[in-house]
Amino acid sequence: MLFDIFNIVAMAQGLGGSSSSEFLLTTILYIVFMGFIVASFFPGFQQKMQIGFLSRDVEKNLYMIEGYLKDSKSMAEKLLKDKNFPEPQQFINKVMERFVIDPVNIEPTDIISRMKLLLRANEDTVREMITKYSPNIDPMTRSQIEISAEVVNALNMIFKIIRHYLLMAKKLNSIMIMYQLQMVAPIYVKLAEAYARAQKVFLQGIPVGDGLGPLVASRFLMNINDKWVPSKDIIAGTMEFEGRRLIVVKAEGPMATVGTPGEAVQNIIEKEGSKVSRIITVDAALKLEGEDTGSIAEGMGVAMGDPGPEKIAIERVATKYNIPIDAVIVKMSMEEAITEMRKEVYDSADKVVNYVKDLIRERTKPGDSVVLVGVGNTAGIAQ
Amino acid sequence: MAISSDSSKQPLITKTLIKCMSCDYSIERDFQEGDFVPKLVGTCPKDGGKLYIAGIYAIKLQPQQAKR
Repeated sequence: MLFDIFNIVAMAQGLGGSSSSEFLLTTILYIVFMGFIVASFFPGFQQKMQIGFLSRDVEKNLYMIEGYLKDSKSMAEKLLKDKNFPEPQQFINKVMERFVIDPVNIEPTDIISRMKLLLRANEDTVREMITKYSPNIDPMTRSQIEISAEVVNALNMIFKIIRHYLLMAKKLNSIMIMYQLQMVAPIYVKLAEAYARAQKVFLQGIPVGDGLGPLVASRFLMNINDKWVPSKDIIAGTMEFEGRRLIVVKAEGPMATVGTPGEAVQNIIEKEGSKVSRIITVDAALKLEGEDTGSIAEGMGVAMGDPGPEKIAIERVATKYNIPIDAVIVKMSMEEAITEMRKEVYDSADKVVNYVKDLIRERTKPGDSVVLVGVGNTAGIAQ
Repeated sequence: MAISSDSSKQPLITKTLIKCMSCDYSIERDFQEGDFVPKLVGTCPKDGGKLYIAGIYAIKLQPQQAKR
């Protein structure tokens, strides 16, 4: 094979004319080429080359994530400036680096109450920080600032973790870390893009795909005049449906919040006692690739994408009073769940309303009480 | 069955669907800031019933619409 290469170079020299500059150029190219061939036999050279190519690919993705982070920060800063927030940059820098440390899990006793305390305290602290800077802020703007803070925090975390592994792979000259990073980085770019888009959607007050549950609940609640607040950021109402007492629960909109549905259901059932014969939870769920957006499925259990405290509150109270829990889900991708509600998902909401009505007719009898929970972020959906 | 992944990114436009509470009248318009479900937005031209925002959703723009 090497002889073939020599022949090609010799032919190129023969065809290329006889000027000395052309000869010099050909010779240099020949030396470089041969040097490259020889160097590739040295151990580690190929690996370094590969690391170089892979890191360039990862860096390209990292720049994209950094771009989304910068856009998100400037959007949050603009929102704060528009609302006359003093020192917006200082506030953003503070919330961007915020973290919640997981409770100790080696001793699981009371882990849920410890987790609940940490999560709630964190939410309350961010809320207090906002109201401290701007005491007369309206709930809508406050929820927009909270969401912006969460998005900036998440994007900052993605950016820093990818950068950390990139620098570590370079430092350790580890091709295995670089390979893994190169494989996952595009997924995180997609996630970062979805987060950045979600922020724009939330700031405009457009319902997101995750608002499917609250939208279903609002279809029932819009005909109820007497509503009450069973727990923080949650609204509930009671209506009669074909001889049954239907208690509908959702997060209080149109602010961007998921509320505390677990605590709300717990409070309601503790008050109602064994009169409740069924709990129905409606939520958006992540679809698998190949499944249709907006397709409906039904099962048993609490349909809720919660770290733990809210979901377990429903499970515990249901166990205490022996109440079956139905789950009705509408499928969508992660991006569709956190950005504008797609028409397919909206169309499913009315189908779910009928589905829930059928379910109540089939599984309960007149005189029973039923709790219906529309789980999800209620941005752009009131009651 | 041919299986393919739909990676094409079509631009979206957000629409607001307004319905009448007492008849089948409905109208779709572009989303305006301040819209939310189920905000009351006037009276029905058909029977004078209350109009409310029934939904806000995103639809994919057709290629010719996207070019404009």
